[in-house]
Amino acid sequence: MATQESARSAVLDHPDGRVLAIVERGYRGALEKQFFDELYLATELHRQLGGLDILLRGQAVTYALNAGPPPPLRIGNRTVDTLSDPRKGLRTLLEAGVGVWAEEPALAAVGAGGSPGRLLRGIRVARDGELAARWTEYRMVCFL
Amino acid sequence: MGAPHDSDQVTSALRLTQSLLERGASVQVWTCGYATLLTQRALGSDKPRNLADWNREYPSTATLAEELLSAFPDRLYWYGCRFCSDDRGAADHLPQVVLRPPAGYAANVSAADKTILVGVI
Repeated sequence: MATQESARSAVLDHPDGRVLAIVERGYRGALEKQFFDELYLATELHRQLGGLDILLRGQAVTYALNAGPPPPLRIGNRTVDTLSDPRKGLRTLLEAGVGVWAEEPALAAVGAGGSPGRLLRGIRVARDGELAARWTEYRMVCFL
Repeated sequence: MGAPHDSDQVTSALRLTQSLLERGASVQVWTCGYATLLTQRALGSDKPRNLADWNREYPSTATLAEELLSAFPDRLYWYGCRFCSDDRGAADHLPQVVLRPPAGYAANVSAADKTILVGVI
């Protein structure tokens, strides 16, 4: 297990060949998108492109904060319990070996700076511009 | 309301609609821009399959709109802008959806005690 963790850490620290996906805008239609959100797409990109890292910035940084699932919504006589759940999406990505960073200034802007314990387990905090300085190490950088 | 898939305005608008209807109000929804695509019959009853959860069903927005209309007959009306709809090739809507010319918008506004505009194109 420790060896696997070490290997994973080595990959994340030396991302040559990996793809960096930056997510800045959050909350893009929980009712109409449901499961089919940008993090679902990221899972497929990770599979197809051979390794993905994600940087959460701006409003999307709140995805990194540990919280319960979104409450269900009543529409007509139906209870809709399939709304977009970005934390579930991030957990799926982390389990699949995706490296996830949350940018520190954006965390501070929502009052969560300096509180790594509030993040989902496995998410790293990136200093301002830290990942931008590493764009050259990635073979592709995309904004999701 | 305007563009779906871009913010949570559709979620907010329909939450508000449901809440108002449950309190006994009458509501008319007017869709503008890409929101006119929400009620296309081509969407079918469910969204495409989730590859990660194959047997789970996810209602399409057309289903949600239809069920909302059915749950509150005579108190919920759903209008759409004909120009926006035509401009986006949305030709086959739920039968309950009434398309009106943009010039008719003011008539809908004046028929309502209160208008809440949450987005345009």
